[in-house]
Formats: sequence, C-alpha cells, structure tokens
Amino acid sequence: MNHSATRERFALRLAPLLRQATIAAGVAAAVLIAGMFVAPERAWVSLWMGSFLLICLGLAGLFFVALQYASGAVWSIVLRRVGEAMSSALPAGAVGILLVLIAHPSLFPWYHHPVHTEGWAAFKHAWLSYPFFFARALIYIAVWLGFGWAIRRNSNRQDNESGPELSRRNTRLSVIFMVAFAFTFWLASTDWVMTLEPHWSSTIFGIYNFSGMFVAGVAALALVTIALRNVGPLRGTVTGAHFLDLGRLLVAFSTFWMYIWFSQYMLIWYTNFNEETAYMLLRSSHGWGKLFVLNVILNWGVPFLLLLPRANKKNPHTLAAGAVILLAGRIVDVYLLIAAPFSPQSPVPSVWDFAALVLVAGVFITLTFRTFFSSEPVPLGDPLLPESVHSHA
Amino acid sequence: MSRRVVLGIFENESSLLKATRESRQSGVKIVDAYTPYAVHGLDEAMGLRPSRLPWVCFGAAIVGLALKLWFEYWATMTDWPINIGGKPWDSLPAFVPVTFEVMVLAAGLTTVFAFLVISRLRPAKRPVLVASGITDNRFVLVLEENDAHWDFRRIQTLLQKHEPVAVEERFEGE
Repeated sequence: MNHSATRERFALRLAPLLRQATIAAGVAAAVLIAGMFVAPERAWVSLWMGSFLLICLGLAGLFFVALQYASGAVWSIVLRRVGEAMSSALPAGAVGILLVLIAHPSLFPWYHHPVHTEGWAAFKHAWLSYPFFFARALIYIAVWLGFGWAIRRNSNRQDNESGPELSRRNTRLSVIFMVAFAFTFWLASTDWVMTLEPHWSSTIFGIYNFSGMFVAGVAALALVTIALRNVGPLRGTVTGAHFLDLGRLLVAFSTFWMYIWFSQYMLIWYTNFNEETAYMLLRSSHGWGKLFVLNVILNWGVPFLLLLPRANKKNPHTLAAGAVILLAGRIVDVYLLIAAPFSPQSPVPSVWDFAALVLVAGVFITLTFRTFFSSEPVPLGDPLLPESVHSHA
Repeated sequence: MSRRVVLGIFENESSLLKATRESRQSGVKIVDAYTPYAVHGLDEAMGLRPSRLPWVCFGAAIVGLALKLWFEYWATMTDWPINIGGKPWDSLPAFVPVTFEVMVLAAGLTTVFAFLVISRLRPAKRPVLVASGITDNRFVLVLEENDAHWDFRRIQTLLQKHEPVAVEERFEGE
C-alpha cells in the first residue's frame, strides 16, 4: 500500500540515527555492566536513576494519551501515536527497575537495617519488608503495562475498523487508568525514591514526582514530535497550533512543578523539624547547593520565561530549546532525588552516571521511533482526526 | 463623517470564516466581525495583529511582584520587626505565597481594566447591535467602502457565495 511505502521511506531517513542510538545504548550498557564490578556502590545507583528516568518517560507517554482521552481533547489526536510510541519505553524501564530490585536491593538502607521509628514503627517495618516491597513493585508495573497494552491495542485496531466505538472504549479505560495510576505512581515514587532515606517522609512527594515526570514527558514528546515533523511523517499534520498547545502544557506543568516544589520546601522550612529539614539541608548545602538552585532554574525559571510569549511556543525552535532545558532540569532533579543520600558531602558525577544517561537516551530513542514506525503515524480511524489536523491556535 | 458599510449575515461560523478570508484577499476593508461566541481562527482570517494585552499583564505582574516584595522587606525588617518562631527578619520563603497572590491580583485586575479601556467598555454603556441575533445564532461580517470604485454588486456576489442569510447595505452617520 502507498501508506506503508511512504512510512518506510521516512523510517529509512531516520535509520542512521536509530542505528547510532542503538549502538550508543549497547556501549553504555557494557560500560554500566563493567561498573557493577569495578564500582558497584556507584554503578547501581546510576542504573537506578536511569531506570527511574526511563520508566517515567514511558509512563508520561501513556499518561499523556490517557489524559487526552479522558478530557475528550481533539487537538492532540495527531500526537496520540507519539505518546503511544513513548509508552513502549515502559517495559524497558521496568526491566531496569526489577533488575536493581532483584540483584542489588541493598541500595535501600532499610534492607539491611530495618527502620525503627517511634509511632509508626510496626507499620513501617511491615511496609518495608523486602517481599512485600517487591510484590508491590510487580503490581505497579503490571498495572501500567496492562493498561498501556490495552489502550494501544484498541487504538491500533481503530485504524482498520473506524468509528467512535473504540474511542469510547479507550476513554473508559483511560479514566480507570488515571485513578489506578494516581495510587500506583504515588506509592511507586514513595517506595523507589523516598525510602532511600527511610527516616524522612513527605506527603506531597508523590505529586512532586508526578509533576516532574509529566513535564519531562511532555518535553520529550515535543522533541519527538518536532523530529518527526522535520523528517516527514508528521509534516503537514502537525502545525503551529499543536506546538502552541504543547508549549502551553510545558509552561503550565513546569509552573505546577515549581508550585509543588515550593509547597514541600516551605512547609519543611517553616516547621523546622530536625527529621524533616535533614533532607533539604543535605541538598541545599555543601556541594549540592549549586545543583539545588540549578534545579529550580532549569525546571522553571528559564523555560517559563522562554516559553511565556505565544510566538515562542508556536515556533518549533524555541519550543525545542525549552524542552531540552526541561529535560536537563529533569536529570538534575532526579540526580538530587536519588544520588544525594549516596554521597552526602557533594555530588560525585561518575562515568557510570553518564553511561546510564546515554543508555536511557539510546533505549528511549530506539524504542520510541521503532514503535512509531510500526503503525500509522496518526490514528486514521478516529472520527475526530480531521478536526485535530485543522486545530486553530 | 459618514460611511457606507455592507453587512453579511451568516448562519454558521464556517461561512463567516470563508467570507472573511475571501474579503480580505480581495482587498475589501473589514470593519469587524460579530459572533455569539469566540470563533477560532477568526483573528487570523481578519488579519488582526496579535493582542498586546499579554504585555500589559506581564508588566503589571512584575510591578505587583516588586511592590509586594519591597513592602514585605520594609515591614518586617525596617518598620516593625517581630520575632516569629525564631525565623530571620528577611524570610523570603514566608513572603513568597503572599507575593504570588498580589502578583496575580495586580496582573489580573490590570488586564481586565486595560481590556475595558481598549474596547471602550464601561458600566451602563448601551449596547449597539449591528444586527439582531448576533448574541444568539447569527454571525455578522461588516465590510467598509474604502475606495472610489466601491461596487456593491461585487461585494454582494462575493458574500452570496458563502450562503448568507442576508446582505445589507447601510449608511452610517457619526
């Protein structure tokens, strides 16, 4: 068919990039494996950060798709396949997460030294027992993979049997997913990140992680969309109106991230409890202080001002610049979240961290573009597709 | 000064959009378009410049932010220092929420008033409806005679292509 012929032509144009990404991922994986023997105390932390970044990118793709279904958005239908393609990073991220949990659970301080905190001691003890912890991880991942699989399957089926029925079914699935997602992602970020410092707790932590996960996800989605428009498959379908809306999402969720960041910071600063301030003190003093400030500048300050004017949201160059800055900010944020307790004095950036980042980028690019080219570039069977193509700014 | 205008009254937004686009392309001066609700893409079809209101909003936000920050530092450090929970006088985190609210208030109110001034809206202003139904189910495009070769028939045929409910010619005295 004509469609698949053009699709192959576009895939060919991207083939060198994909090959490079795959090779880079392979080399980075080899370096990381070497690191597990040379410097296990650092390399496993790097892998953990990378896996968390990757699974969050995949989740953000799935969440984006679900959000558009649940809200009945029309403008974003042309971007649905990009979100779906991104969600293919989910299983890869899950592999990394499970690998660390199985092979190196001692990353978590409570693994060897059970937590005894007054008041909640019994609950914390039970919650942070390894079998329960591992079973929970399996449940979160199963829920995400299950919904991702079902939503993508319905969406692809719609290409052949057009009509609103499959859209309706996916809307229902998306609404259920978002409820399940709220609980599972909140618990997962608590389990996987917060319990690295088991004596510290914050009730807003899940939302904080969600905000960072989603704004970085939309940034990645914008970059993939711009790349696909430049190479071909989305040229003509994705216009300034879609970029404008993506830019609006970026500004909105970057500000949301800042809002949640500040809510957490201010309450800890105000109450001034020893067990709570330790977390912020560690990250805002010594060598970590610069990253602490950089985090806020990259995740909100610069992208907010850059993408505030309407023209900059509409222009793919400035939008891409904002997205790149936000992704850099995401890396700094995750580094502060996860790596800080492992080297409290100051950050120790290592070759393993770099390898983990290259691995994440390589795997993400490879999986996203390969998945994208395995189906139609836009959901052809969605009855509202023409309206989405002709979105107005 | 009096002027001659032509009204094209349409039943739906797509006709209005097409007629607007074609009028602009054939060089007819567009006075305004009246619709019961905001029609996406109409500003583009009319060739309107992007609104400068966001700059008013941004400027007002900066002013509100600066004034509030100055006031908080002045009040808590210079004019009336009070020890609250052992916090330093210059407790920026404590100032942020109020500063944020004042910034939003200043930006919001200024933008609304700037909008009212720009559109010459005020309380008790009597609305002038160019045609009945524009607050209900009609879309009106107003074109103005802008050269000596004004040909009503040409305008009429241009508008007729887009299935108007009516095309009216009017003389306005001001």
